[in-house]
Amino acid sequence: MIRVFALCLMFFPGAALAQSPLVQQVVDSHVLPGFQTLAQRTEALKAASVEACTGLEAPYHDAFDAWMAVSHLRFGPTETQDRAFAMAFWPDTKGFTPKALSALIADQDPAVKNPAQFSEVSIAARGLFALEFLLYDAQLSTAGEDGYRCDLIRAIAEDMDRIAVDILSDWAPHYAALLTAPGPDSRYRSDEEAAQELFKALTTGLQFTSDTRLGRPMGSFDKPRPNRAEARRSERSLRNVILSLAALRELAALLSQGHPGTAAELDAAFDRSIALAERLEDPVFAGVATPQGRFRVEALRNSIDEIRAIAATRLGPQLGVAAGFNSLDGD
Amino acid sequence: MTTRRRFLAGLAATGTLPATGWAEVGAPDYLAAALFPDGSYRLAGLRASGEMVFDLPLPGRGHAAAAHPFRPEAVAFARRPGRFALVINCLSGQRIATLDAPAGRHFYGHGVFSRDGRTLFATENDYDAGQGVIGLWDAARAYARIGEMPSGGVGPHDMVLMPDGETLAVANGGIETHPDTGRAKLNLPFMEPSLTYMGPEGEILEQVAPPSSQHKNSIRHLALRDDGLLGFAMQWQGEATLHPPLLGLHWRGSDPVFLAAPEAEQARTQGYAGSIAFSHDGTRVGITAPRGGALHVFDADGHSFAGAHEIADVCGLGAGPSGFFFTAGTGLIGRLGQGRPAGLSHSGCQWDNHLVALA
Repeated sequence: MIRVFALCLMFFPGAALAQSPLVQQVVDSHVLPGFQTLAQRTEALKAASVEACTGLEAPYHDAFDAWMAVSHLRFGPTETQDRAFAMAFWPDTKGFTPKALSALIADQDPAVKNPAQFSEVSIAARGLFALEFLLYDAQLSTAGEDGYRCDLIRAIAEDMDRIAVDILSDWAPHYAALLTAPGPDSRYRSDEEAAQELFKALTTGLQFTSDTRLGRPMGSFDKPRPNRAEARRSERSLRNVILSLAALRELAALLSQGHPGTAAELDAAFDRSIALAERLEDPVFAGVATPQGRFRVEALRNSIDEIRAIAATRLGPQLGVAAGFNSLDGD
Repeated sequence: MTTRRRFLAGLAATGTLPATGWAEVGAPDYLAAALFPDGSYRLAGLRASGEMVFDLPLPGRGHAAAAHPFRPEAVAFARRPGRFALVINCLSGQRIATLDAPAGRHFYGHGVFSRDGRTLFATENDYDAGQGVIGLWDAARAYARIGEMPSGGVGPHDMVLMPDGETLAVANGGIETHPDTGRAKLNLPFMEPSLTYMGPEGEILEQVAPPSSQHKNSIRHLALRDDGLLGFAMQWQGEATLHPPLLGLHWRGSDPVFLAAPEAEQARTQGYAGSIAFSHDGTRVGITAPRGGALHVFDADGHSFAGAHEIADVCGLGAGPSGFFFTAGTGLIGRLGQGRPAGLSHSGCQWDNHLVALA
């Protein structure tokens, strides 16, 4: 299946190459390779789960790494049928994932034996975070019968692979063509609109990493919330921040290539952020509970907000993003 | 000036004319928040002529305001997740009191007074519980906080007092946010927006929701016609390729009606309606779409689409002398009668989401 897609891509290098080299480059060198890798990793995870229901930590991490390279591309194919949420439902403010998994296990819900039925199960019981609970959570990793839990793990892995394949097959060639060949009656009416969609992916990706990946565990000074760090059970919280910054840096470099001054500023700002993140050595942001540790996470967050400021004030206008007071940020 | 006439008629009916009347020169017809050219956020009083009669500094970005039913007094709320609200004398533009959200709560930016003017109701977020509440503030005792009641959903935003003088209608937008994570939307796949009617003690009388396929259509802003027809404006959080209706009309006890412009016009809104208002005579209902730079007008009773008007970054909307009065983020203030929109004035102020008619 994956091989067929790779072949398709070779024959769809975009009809609008000359029109829209920027968007085309982003699609060819950022979007499509990212989703291809994701589909390969979810396929490997599925295959491993069929082999055995234990020892899935490595393919789980590989798949999660691949998701981090594309998780900011939240438009078009990832939004159909809530695919992105079904792949990675977080934050889970009301604890829906453990509740939904516990209910499936307690009921021995037969949906795990039927992929079509499982795709209708609550998104909270599907995807990377559901799998994380089953692999790493002290209670859920041992809940119920081993046999049922194993079927559930396999169902989640298979469902994730189906979603990854569906996203990729929507992107290539259909959505890639929409984005790279805009037209008056199309989803994107101009090259600028297509570039703005990618710009929005950059800014909302930076915002999510700053406000949610870091803001959620930081909580407030009086009430830090280390237990709210993303994917803390598999100790991926900091790793996700670093990988998201790497992916966003790649996108920012592509989007700013026509503006060397902005490109250099963005590159330096990403450098600072990634260096701060790598120096943290606090994989689950446990340090936010101490003033010193919190200060370091806050410094990282501020450095990401500096990237956001450069993107908003320099790159946005260069890409023709109209920043209306109300249209930009409504309520 | 219709709004003032109606206001004075209301005063005559209650027999509680304030010592200083609204007829005094300079009294505003609308309140609106803006980012001023000097970089400060301020609340301004506007006349229907487009003239600005006062402006008052705010501690941060403002959102909407609630007008007292008979005192020339209004409460200007911070934009979510703000924690302040200012009580303002609308004649002098002076600050009378300040409301601070209690611990664990922030304002959403809207509120309404009880008919007797004693109680201010404000939409607030009990953010650690992820539940909406209506805060109760005692306008007769220096706006002391006297209690709260559940809003009937998550993310309550706009609210109005129904014509019976006691039923509250609340737009529960359905979106969970927490100040720790700024304006990040935390629950999109599980959103359940609703229009909730409640009695003065918080008892839920009726709830209306979009069809389940549109559970991501956040009900945010309300406009009330004198006879009880309630209009609600929505913000679509689902797939950008879909263009669901952004305007609903509801009579108590019946099914809501959803109205959309023709496909191409609807698509241009980008799924976002900013404000809603009925025209001065109630025959038309309008919504603003700042992302599409458009003001859409519908026949409020026949439900037909009456036209789209192109106005860049338009958002604030209210009834005006001959139809509608609007403000835009570009600084434009204008009116819409039966024909095309007409500019009244232009300033360096970036007008924020809403204007509140003082009527």
